[in-house]
Amino acid sequence: MEGREQKRHEQKRHQQKHSGPKAEKKKKRKQREQDAEQEQDERKRNPRAFAVRSAVRMARNFHRTQDLKTKKHHIPLVDRTPLEPPPIVVVVMGPPKVGKSTLIRCLIKNYTRQKLADICGPVTIVSGKKRRLTFIECNNDINTMIDLAKVADLVLMLIDASFGFEMETFEFLNICQVHGFPRVMGVLTHLDSFKNNKTLNKTKKRLKHRFWTEVYQGAKLFYLSGMVYGEYQTREVKNLGRFISVMKFRPLVWQTSHPYVVADRMEDLTDPEAIRLNPKCDRTVSLYGYLRGTFLKNKCQIHIPGVGDFSVADASFLPDPCPLPEMLKKRALNERERLLYAPMAGVGGLVYDKDAVYIDMPGSHVSHQQEEVRPTTELVQSLMGTHTTLDAKMAASKVSLFTGTAALTPEEVQDNSSGKQGPVESRVWDAETQRERRKAIFAEEDDEGSDEEDSEEEDNEELESEEEETEEEAEQEKKEVREERKAMKEDAPPIKRQKLEERAQVSGAVVEMPVFADSEDELEKSEGEEETEEEESDEDDEDEKEVEEEEMEEEEKKKKDRKGTAPPDSGHCSEEDTDSDDEVEDDDSEAEVDEEEEEDEDSSEVEEQENVKAPGKEAAQSKMLPADEEVKTDVEEKTEPGLETAGALRWKEDLAQKATEAYLRQQRAAPNVRKLVYGAVVEEENTDNEEEELGGLFRVSRPEKSKKIRADAVDCSRFQPDAGHDWDQEEMLASIRDCFVTGKWEGDKDASTLLKEDDELYGDFEDLETGEVHKAKGDKTEGENHDDDEENEEEEAPLVKVDDDEAQKNKRLEKKKRLKERFNAEYDDGDATYFDDLKEEMQKQAELNRAEFEDMDDETRVQYEGFRPGMYVRLEIPALPCEFVTNFDPHYPIILGGLGASEGNIGYLQMRLKKHRWYNRILKTRDPLILSLGWRRFQTMPLYHIEDHNGRHRLLKYTPEHMHCGASIWGPITPQGTGFLAVQSVAGTQANFRIAATGVVLDLDKSVTIVKKLKLTGYPYKIFKNTCFIQGMFNTVLEVAKFEGASIRTVSGLKGQIKKALRTPPGAFRATFEDRALMSDIVFLRSWYPVSVPQLYNPVTSLLMPVGQKDAWTGMRTVGQLKHDLGIKNKPNKDSLYKPVVRQKRHFNPLHIPKTLQKALPFKSKPKNQEAKGKTPLDLRRPAVIREPHERKVAALLTALGTVYNHKNKKAQAEQHMKHKDFLKQKEKEEVVKQKRLKEERKKIYRAMGQKEKKKLKSSLKGASKDN
Amino acid sequence: IAAKGGMAALTYEGCNFLRQRLVLSTLSGKRVKIRNIRSRDDEPGLRDFEASFIRLLDKVTNGSRIEINQTGTALFYQPGLLCGGSVEHECNVQRSIGYYLEALIMLAPFMKNPLKAILKGVTNDPIDPSVDLLKATAVPLMKMFGINGEGLEIKVVKRGIAPRGGGEVHFSCPVCRALKPVLLTDPGKIKRIRGTAYSVRVSPQMANRIVDSARSILNKFIPDIYIYTDHMKGASSGKSPGFGLTLVAETVNGTLLSAELASTPQGQGDPVLPEELGKNCAKLLLEEIYRGGCVDSNNQSLALLYMTLDQQDVSKTLLGPLSPYTIEFLRHIRDFFQIMFKIETQKADEDEQKGGDKVLMTCVGVGYSNISKSHK
Repeated sequence: MEGREQKRHEQKRHQQKHSGPKAEKKKKRKQREQDAEQEQDERKRNPRAFAVRSAVRMARNFHRTQDLKTKKHHIPLVDRTPLEPPPIVVVVMGPPKVGKSTLIRCLIKNYTRQKLADICGPVTIVSGKKRRLTFIECNNDINTMIDLAKVADLVLMLIDASFGFEMETFEFLNICQVHGFPRVMGVLTHLDSFKNNKTLNKTKKRLKHRFWTEVYQGAKLFYLSGMVYGEYQTREVKNLGRFISVMKFRPLVWQTSHPYVVADRMEDLTDPEAIRLNPKCDRTVSLYGYLRGTFLKNKCQIHIPGVGDFSVADASFLPDPCPLPEMLKKRALNERERLLYAPMAGVGGLVYDKDAVYIDMPGSHVSHQQEEVRPTTELVQSLMGTHTTLDAKMAASKVSLFTGTAALTPEEVQDNSSGKQGPVESRVWDAETQRERRKAIFAEEDDEGSDEEDSEEEDNEELESEEEETEEEAEQEKKEVREERKAMKEDAPPIKRQKLEERAQVSGAVVEMPVFADSEDELEKSEGEEETEEEESDEDDEDEKEVEEEEMEEEEKKKKDRKGTAPPDSGHCSEEDTDSDDEVEDDDSEAEVDEEEEEDEDSSEVEEQENVKAPGKEAAQSKMLPADEEVKTDVEEKTEPGLETAGALRWKEDLAQKATEAYLRQQRAAPNVRKLVYGAVVEEENTDNEEEELGGLFRVSRPEKSKKIRADAVDCSRFQPDAGHDWDQEEMLASIRDCFVTGKWEGDKDASTLLKEDDELYGDFEDLETGEVHKAKGDKTEGENHDDDEENEEEEAPLVKVDDDEAQKNKRLEKKKRLKERFNAEYDDGDATYFDDLKEEMQKQAELNRAEFEDMDDETRVQYEGFRPGMYVRLEIPALPCEFVTNFDPHYPIILGGLGASEGNIGYLQMRLKKHRWYNRILKTRDPLILSLGWRRFQTMPLYHIEDHNGRHRLLKYTPEHMHCGASIWGPITPQGTGFLAVQSVAGTQANFRIAATGVVLDLDKSVTIVKKLKLTGYPYKIFKNTCFIQGMFNTVLEVAKFEGASIRTVSGLKGQIKKALRTPPGAFRATFEDRALMSDIVFLRSWYPVSVPQLYNPVTSLLMPVGQKDAWTGMRTVGQLKHDLGIKNKPNKDSLYKPVVRQKRHFNPLHIPKTLQKALPFKSKPKNQEAKGKTPLDLRRPAVIREPHERKVAALLTALGTVYNHKNKKAQAEQHMKHKDFLKQKEKEEVVKQKRLKEERKKIYRAMGQKEKKKLKSSLKGASKDN
Repeated sequence: IAAKGGMAALTYEGCNFLRQRLVLSTLSGKRVKIRNIRSRDDEPGLRDFEASFIRLLDKVTNGSRIEINQTGTALFYQPGLLCGGSVEHECNVQRSIGYYLEALIMLAPFMKNPLKAILKGVTNDPIDPSVDLLKATAVPLMKMFGINGEGLEIKVVKRGIAPRGGGEVHFSCPVCRALKPVLLTDPGKIKRIRGTAYSVRVSPQMANRIVDSARSILNKFIPDIYIYTDHMKGASSGKSPGFGLTLVAETVNGTLLSAELASTPQGQGDPVLPEELGKNCAKLLLEEIYRGGCVDSNNQSLALLYMTLDQQDVSKTLLGPLSPYTIEFLRHIRDFFQIMFKIETQKADEDEQKGGDKVLMTCVGVGYSNISKSHK
């Protein structure tokens, strides 16, 4: 790096050309661009083209733009991000051997210039001036994938480009989708395996498009091309790092509404004696990590995925082990600020909590350090040996020792267990090496590629497979080596972490340091001690830092001691607790001291109460303080300058502030309303029990009269009036005078002052017509609400007494301007939309949220708000199963997910579920299924159902193939709208897609309303007309009584109703039908039977599994699996088998009509089949004719002749017919001709007649004229 | 199975604050165990009205488990989910409907279905806040927290006076998903006083006499006073005679301060004159005004509860001096929700005559959301 930088310096600076062809070219280009720019403003150039043509169209356009605008709006939320946000969780995910660890290592190196050999647990680093990152590696276990998807802010999804997508990638994406989609960035690795540039590009493109369809169009996909000395190329890593450090994140609903901690450290606090007695006893464990999400309350309930539900016994916050740089400078981070914190990986400096200080030594210092820390005294050394088991006892007896024994660290525990589990582990290894990669192939992809590509790909694959084989061999070798190394590690004593016992709690301080009082000696002394320590360990920068921090810690401790405070505790302790005798475990000395203090305070209570004022005025107040307190503050003030000179040590910088804070805390401890309500302030909580002791063993039990009475008093919310107030007196009446509108108003709200103000603004005006100038009356007296400069102006005015027109004009202008501003403000406000208002409201609320507790110290603040996200917290959890500690594996993330109100309860959940379209089987009702819902993973037995049109939930045997259906489970109460996913098993890897179904919680209930159809069948045994007696449907009269009036049906379709039970046989009943039923009919009653959801809630306890088998959790098996495993064959129902159909022939009786009826019938309907005639008597029968041979011949001849004759006749007839036809034709023709002729003749005649007529008319006219 | 083992029940002693405990338990989902209920009393165990309250709670919830020991001195309550819907309850006459209604108001917004409750019993008695008072003050307070919409109302259908009751009240409330943070720091000045003087089974003149006497005192401060007289007759007048007065002072900022007084129940102590009652009630109102704040002393706990159940934002309310009931309520809130209020005393200003010291309550809500409401 340095070399390159030097080189850069050596290079000549670039000089711009001002003449010559190049410069000319540039000038030309610039000119052209300018021209183009001018042309671009087409609206100006061609205004007519943009003129309004159609109002409708314009309106439509306007609507469209408005729609688009509003579509972009999201519901505004109150911004609750803390000022100092927790590190961003970056989950690095991918199938095995894709380069996850390498990438993390490279990124860490890029950010912090440190090398981390083993990525083990979360690694937190400072990446920039305002950002920290926590890297977590996600292995191939689906449990881990689910857990990490819930806490991830950013997912780096590694994809082996040489192989393509694998199932894990898609599974993880689907998991993410269900639990709120965090940012996902793809990273392609193994790009160097492509020799051909063209295939490389094609693969890139193909993978990119597939990735886009899964995430979103244009999702970022990063390419890491090849390795250099086992690391990715520096420049590419740097770019990736830059991308990460500027990335923005969206708030996810679940994450922002629940507090959670990704634990980066675990300590077992169990009494070693208890473990010795019973190695399987429940453990008390403290877990550490950054708090994320939202505020965490003390004593809250949490869920640890993979372990179970627990309640936090104690929460406290610790100083940030990986803080952001204090001051924001413009430059980049310097080396000291690039911190790295990864306790599980064995890095990260020094951590301290309330009962111990831990220093993590880098490997090279271990042995050396140990030598120096080990005390030289024989006695102490001997004590050390026994200490491990006596630890807690000693703590209880308040004897604190400075020893350097190692506590039971997680590494130790783990090493032990892994030692035990040796063979198991190796077996797992074997399995891993034989791992089959689960390639995900998509039909579309194959279609995309042309045949050519296919062949190429095939080639590649072949190549690959060869490569893989070789790789695998290499892998195996490597693994062997690694295992060996591991074994060696196990052999070596675990002395990485030194636990500097510092039980410098209150009591310890009392015993060890009698200098409880406020003197500087103590400080000096401790500093001396620190110096020696410093000498011991100042080889390295890092060590120095540690020591500094240690100092800070010690300093803080001492401060606490001085105050007699217990460590931070958000004080959940009801009064009952403190008062009841049996629950109190007396911490004698502690209590005593505190009591003393209490008394002191009590004496000064009265004065202090008056002093309670706004913070930050301690200087003024300190004068009024009682003497001892004053001394204390003095001490702290004195220490301040001396320390400040010490340099840039961070802890010292805000010492003064801390001192004031401490002071204020004490002030606050003074009796006030809070004390009245919440009892004693936290620090003194356990001092309230003023119990008299007799000989230190027995307590005087004394019935508390007053308390008992109050406990059983009348439960009433009325607040009885104060007897001291006599409302007949005038003074009392006067005391509330101002509460009414008729009373005096405050200055800024009084009507008269407001009026005056208005006068100032609007009072003076110039009558334009007359030219008169009206001046405001209050012009001279104003000044309350005006700016200072103006005031000055006005003050000066009477002094100078220059009646200057100019000045007045100016003033008027000024006033006008102000008026206009006010007017604008009012009117612009009117322009604001509902959305803007809402946003503003949220903004205000956010500001209020920030400002409200800002000036408090953290300890007090924590009590009001709970722990803020971004704090480094320590959570103590009791009663954890011992397997959690003994089988601890830092490679598996420990997440502490906070639970909201009543989320720890169990009930029935109704959800909407859909089988995943990539899952190749449908799911069966009542088959156990593993759900990931909220923080939890659990096995349960869902019932699937579908809603009928009338709102009935009908049970389904199987989920529909491509449709949503309802599912009801017995599980943890989770808010509605939470997404979930289901898998059939979490054990091992399968070839297929593992996510069986996804869905969302709809409803929570304590009862279910699923029904299944039930058909009760019965058989008629007596039939009268429409009434039937039916048996076999019920067994008792009572059962029938329950179903009276129910509708029934026969198979043939007759509808009926149950009427009444019969006495015998039991269960038989009378029913009526709409028609007569047949004896052969089956009668059935369709009913709905409520189904109960099986109450199985079985949390997946994968973290409790032995190391190496954590992905092998199996819960309850399905019936199918059980049958398969036990080799049970299903016995088919005999009735369900197919048999040859034997149909009986039906016999129909003839219809018989009674005689009487027959008689009555009309003739039409009477049966008309006549009776068979009797036999004709012989005499009436005619004899048969038998012909002689001759006669027969004659007859035959006659017949032949007849036939001939007939034929002749027929022929002649046909001929005749033809002739006649011809004749008719002829006739017709003639007729036509005749008609024609006739027509013409008639024409002639008519013409002649017409002419004659004409003539006649003419002659008659002539004649007449003659006559005339 | 594992989830149940995670948490132990909260344990309390004595019958006092039973309602608070059960209500908070229902809302927080935490189980509660109450021991030594009147264990040293001559009649140990739960009283009828408490049993009636528990029954009411059972009616509005689904899946809750209540175990009471043989003597009735110990109670175990495992809360279910609030289901709401139409509920009809015969409230025990030992306490007035106000006793039941106060708790119901706290729970009502978080039901699965909108609550429509018909409560029968005593509407007015001297112990508990009456139905009129809650109608006048609690309902507007609920609206400030964003609980509004169709049918948020309390309707007095029949009036029943202690000791025999016979009244009927309809209470309906819509469900809401989450509450809105409030900032009630300025009570404003009182602009008018309203009130109801009721009388049943006595002369209708009684109400007028009450009104006159109350006005005689309040007129010194403000002229805008209107007191309705409410005389119920026949079937809607309940079973016992009595009268009383409820006064509500309204400020320009919408704060409501109230006071009330009821006549002593028939056959329990000396009868009071209506004039005296009117005057005393007016003085009670003055006392309430002296205490001041943005929420009146009867509804302090309701306001604080809603503040606790807010979204995770800062809410502020100015209250008068905290009543013992409220103080206990704050302790209970801490037990059930781990919420502590920042309590700041605001001293009365010397030159301003606005009553006594006030208390500014500040808290960050728990981010409670209605988990009963179904999501469709």
